[in-house]
Amino acid sequence: MAAPLRVEWLGRIPWLDALEAQMKRVEARRAGAGPDTLLLLEHPPVITLGRRSDPAHLLESRAALAARGIDVVEAARGGSVTYHGPGQLVGYLVIDLAARGAADVHVFLRSIEADLIAAINKTGVAARATPGRTGVFAAAAGRPRKLASIGIGLRGWVSFHGFALNVTLDPGEFAAIVPCGLEDVAMSSLAHELGASAPVSLMDQTRAAVAEAFAARWDAA
Amino acid sequence: MSVAVELPSLGESVVEGTVSRWLVKEGDRVAVDQPLVEVTTDKVDAEIPAPVAGIVQKILVAEGQTVAVGAPLLMIEADSGSDAPRKPASSPAAAAAPQAAAPQAAPSREQPPATPLARRLADEAKVDLRSVTGTGAAGRVTKQDVALKASEHRSPAAGPGSAPASGSAPAAPRAGYLSYTLQPGDRVVPMTPLRRLVAEHMVLSKRVSPHVGTVAEIDMAGVTRVRDAHKRTFEQDHGFGLSFLPFIVHACVRALREFPRLNASVLEDAIVEKKDIHIGIAVETEKGLVVPVARHADRLSLAGLAQALEDLAKRARSKRLSADELKGGSFTVSNPGRHGNLYGFAIINQPQVGILRMGEIVKRPVVRTLDGQDAIVIRPIMHLALSYDHRAVDGAPANSFLHRIRELLEEAEFDL
Repeated sequence: MAAPLRVEWLGRIPWLDALEAQMKRVEARRAGAGPDTLLLLEHPPVITLGRRSDPAHLLESRAALAARGIDVVEAARGGSVTYHGPGQLVGYLVIDLAARGAADVHVFLRSIEADLIAAINKTGVAARATPGRTGVFAAAAGRPRKLASIGIGLRGWVSFHGFALNVTLDPGEFAAIVPCGLEDVAMSSLAHELGASAPVSLMDQTRAAVAEAFAARWDAA
Repeated sequence: MSVAVELPSLGESVVEGTVSRWLVKEGDRVAVDQPLVEVTTDKVDAEIPAPVAGIVQKILVAEGQTVAVGAPLLMIEADSGSDAPRKPASSPAAAAAPQAAAPQAAPSREQPPATPLARRLADEAKVDLRSVTGTGAAGRVTKQDVALKASEHRSPAAGPGSAPASGSAPAAPRAGYLSYTLQPGDRVVPMTPLRRLVAEHMVLSKRVSPHVGTVAEIDMAGVTRVRDAHKRTFEQDHGFGLSFLPFIVHACVRALREFPRLNASVLEDAIVEKKDIHIGIAVETEKGLVVPVARHADRLSLAGLAQALEDLAKRARSKRLSADELKGGSFTVSNPGRHGNLYGFAIINQPQVGILRMGEIVKRPVVRTLDGQDAIVIRPIMHLALSYDHRAVDGAPANSFLHRIRELLEEAEFDL
């Protein structure tokens, strides 16, 4: 039986600091000197560009973004352009998948979707996965509305990166980018889906539900 | 010693990856577990660590290039002093598990994906699954892979001559005595996942199944007459032309009902004769060979069969077949078309036990007895070749089966 998943709340920290915190834990995990960990945090407003980012997906100039207090970071990762900001719950998963007997990236992605859906459903928003499109979407009818984006990195079989779940974030903040290069998907958030019925404590509730859902899977594994 | 680092299996449904960034260059010294290259697949960036310490000898895949699971990414000249390399990255698990890995990490946790049958066989034969290269879908270890490994164990003295039989990576030969050294001007065409699957399947089929061939010369005059008589009305009614293929398939399923041994599979120590007849039709498409399946082909009329085959072929070419339509065939007919030449023997589509391959239909002089007199007449002749699996089928039933197809086609009693 593997040791339980450690869940850490790091508060609001810059993207590059969070990357460093992750890589430290990845190296410790690979050396057998650290536990499997879920880092929960928020980022100050930041746009990250992957190496495959299409510059056309950044819709405003960097100067205009800087004037609005939004950083632009060149992330050494694949994938397209992403926005993070306050009101978005970010989860970074440092898990040795091989040691868990779970060495399958697609299975891992699907498990992250399932755990997020379980957590989101507890907040009163109906969520679903969409085959062929990694991420979590609002289940209500209409144009697809994305609630959470997912992307993982692996060093050997130890994972990093994870998910970004829009909780109270104003979906309008994504206006500066085309999220993940998906032109036909609208970004949404739990608060946006709940409308006037969104409780003040939505972020705290969501954080607790997410921690519980992931712990339930990985503690039992 | 040179060690090839391959694109590991990142999951059962992952068939390929794109090299997004090299973290080392040729001539670099690398330590065990040092990340070498970053590979991207849908929503995942995976760094592949070094299985051994040594010098990066050759980088085989350029950034931006997409390769299949199992394709070699680079060669490392391992330090002579270093231990025997760990299995060259059949999975990052094998490569990544550091010596310092948590002591609780039981070996089973690092095993590559394998079929349940392969696992059981490995247990019985005391074969370490981590030492076996999987040739199944997405690098899964199959029963045959384990059997092969077990036979290697039994003859440790086997020289290099025994290695080709392994066929463990037909699409990407191991570096060494069998590999080709690139010459200036060569064009290197990476295999598509489909090409690789086809390659693996062909090697597997030839390895597990002793193929025997037999050919019939068939007078297609009767079929031609029926076809000519109905050609116009058929095309008006159905919107497409009536080809010879439905006639062949129709005769084939009627013969299969009389010879169930040809509509079978070898399962462990038994031969399973199947109730249902589902005919796979080999279709060459732009992207390569696909074999859609006409289900319950024996329940269809000739016209129904013609429609089903036309629909499958059309959708195969426009890539609109579902995965289910490519599965479950019990026998296969291959129609190479107008340029099919005299005849040829197809490789059996496992786990079936037979495949028919049509030759071209050409007018030839043949001898017939007319009114008690031998005469040379001109007839449309097709050679039809059957490849059958001698594990399941002996020569007598196989020849009778093919002969029966010939009778049915020459009698040409088809309702349209």
